[in-house]
Amino acid sequence: MKEVDIAIIGGGPAGLMAAEAAASSGANVVLLERDGHLGGQLVKQTHKFFGSEKQYASTRGIYIANILEDKLKEMPDKVEIWKGATAIGLYEDDVLAVEVGKEIKKLKAKRFIVATGASEKSLVFVNNELPGIYGAGAVQTLMNVNGVRPGQRVLMVGAGNIGLIVSYQLLQAGVEVAAIIDAAPTIGGYLVHASKIRRAGVPILTSHTVTRAYGKESVEGATLVALDEQWQPLPGTEKEVAVDVICISVGLSPLAELLWHAGCEMHYIPQLGGHVPIRDKNLKTNVDAVYIAGDITGIEEASSAMVEGRLAGLTASASIGFKHDDYEAEVLDCNEQLRSLRAGPVGEHINQGMALVTSGE
Amino acid sequence: MYLRTGVADKELVVNTIPSDERRQKGPYVFIECYQEIPCDPCTKICPFGSILPMDDINDLPRTDYDTCTGCTICAAICPGLAIFIIDETYSETEGTVGIPYEFSPLPAKGDVVEAMNRAGEVICDATVLRVNPNKKRQSTPLVTLVVPKELIMEVRFFRLKKNAADALPEVDPYDEENLPDSTVICRCENVTLGEVRALIDEGYDNVDEIKRISRAGMGPCQGRTCRPLIMGEIRRKTGKEFDEIELGAFRPPTKPIQFEQLMGGEEDDN
Repeated sequence: MKEVDIAIIGGGPAGLMAAEAAASSGANVVLLERDGHLGGQLVKQTHKFFGSEKQYASTRGIYIANILEDKLKEMPDKVEIWKGATAIGLYEDDVLAVEVGKEIKKLKAKRFIVATGASEKSLVFVNNELPGIYGAGAVQTLMNVNGVRPGQRVLMVGAGNIGLIVSYQLLQAGVEVAAIIDAAPTIGGYLVHASKIRRAGVPILTSHTVTRAYGKESVEGATLVALDEQWQPLPGTEKEVAVDVICISVGLSPLAELLWHAGCEMHYIPQLGGHVPIRDKNLKTNVDAVYIAGDITGIEEASSAMVEGRLAGLTASASIGFKHDDYEAEVLDCNEQLRSLRAGPVGEHINQGMALVTSGE
Repeated sequence: MYLRTGVADKELVVNTIPSDERRQKGPYVFIECYQEIPCDPCTKICPFGSILPMDDINDLPRTDYDTCTGCTICAAICPGLAIFIIDETYSETEGTVGIPYEFSPLPAKGDVVEAMNRAGEVICDATVLRVNPNKKRQSTPLVTLVVPKELIMEVRFFRLKKNAADALPEVDPYDEENLPDSTVICRCENVTLGEVRALIDEGYDNVDEIKRISRAGMGPCQGRTCRPLIMGEIRRKTGKEFDEIELGAFRPPTKPIQFEQLMGGEEDDN
């Protein structure tokens, strides 16, 4: 059984940053990634990122993945990368079971940083099992990883940042977007994203939802209905829209099975997207060996995920005696970056949610 | 309305237009960024310091129009594609609008395109004056259009002239009630909403019991898709809050694996 100082589960923005921070603190790291390549969702993000320089603002997500991976390659004696490796169980004796290819391997670590990200929420409506109904992540994978258009004409359900960005990417790929709808009365994503899609002629219908898909073998259209201020359907407002793809982008939910395995105390926090673990300011859960970073702490942008990854990498290493040379300054900087990323109006719900599950100083 | 439609209101736009005097002096940057979000690259990249430093990363950008030359560097890097370059001195009757444009193919100089407003409505034809592809891979190409002067604060996008896309055939929708029992809630195990509702009616008011009886959540996705949907149905029918709904134990493995794999696993050292 392989033993290591720190095992990091998930090679997305949080996990990559955590690996770099832990390795530069002096810890030996194994970084696990389920996919065949590192970067997580970054590899599908063809748009320029928000935030500031420290979170690679104005760089396209796909290139951020390369920058972060290159940094790890500079430390080959400290960081071992397992690609195509799925963590399938985390046991109380600090052993992680990992499926690598067809093999099950065991990995014992002094600390685990769980950075498994999130999964997409789905939606119940009539005929929602018809072929042609996708999650937004699947559409991004098809287009931006595999170079395949999902269809000719899309209804986007959800006007958060992912719904807006994927709509924009669909337009770039030459796919028509019939409309973006959202049950909420206002657009959830950044308005600059909304504006650039709106000015390309795509209507954004807030206070609208999809009630049914129709079609014989696959999606041929959808029925929309307007909602009142209590989010109840307004009779007589039904309309049909002919589309061959319905793309569901109604939010993300932290992917936390491993934390349940490990015995972390979990709470349902709507502002953070679902069940999340309680944690302290160092991103340590109530289980001493288990740290968290990225969307698993609560659904946010990749910019915060990167900073959290760095913070967890630093603190998890320090807890087993590998203290970064500039530990205090680095931790302070991470906390300052997180504070400022969440300081504006769009960060309000995050701060509310975080306050409910974060303990101590 | 901005929050509902994504189209910036007139008042927002008018507030940041520079003085008439400045507008007659040549190109200037026009930033349509009206929501406080954590983003500040424009303040860092301007070689003239014309986009003023922010106290907080969530501040709205402010432009010093006296020092701005309309050089376009900020427009190429803005993640929100919210920066336009306006020049009202192009001719007696026309001005130019520089538009960040991330679509392929790019138009060519001299092309006539259909200019659109913030709501995506075509409002005039416009001639392409310049195309700066900004080949440095991170940046956004900037396309400069010549438009009638009175539309300089309206034109914010364009499309190439082409035939309208073939419309998909219209079809008759099925005639069913809203969310009938036949609606599928667990796609892996093909469990319907009706089965879940019946179980809740029988008193099974948590995800764990419903899983054991119906198999919902036992398929390849291990409940990642249906668990929140079943929770929603339980809440609707019983009034239980999400935090009160028993999910059951989460046990390894997180994904279906074959017995063969487990049997081939590593031996314990201790």
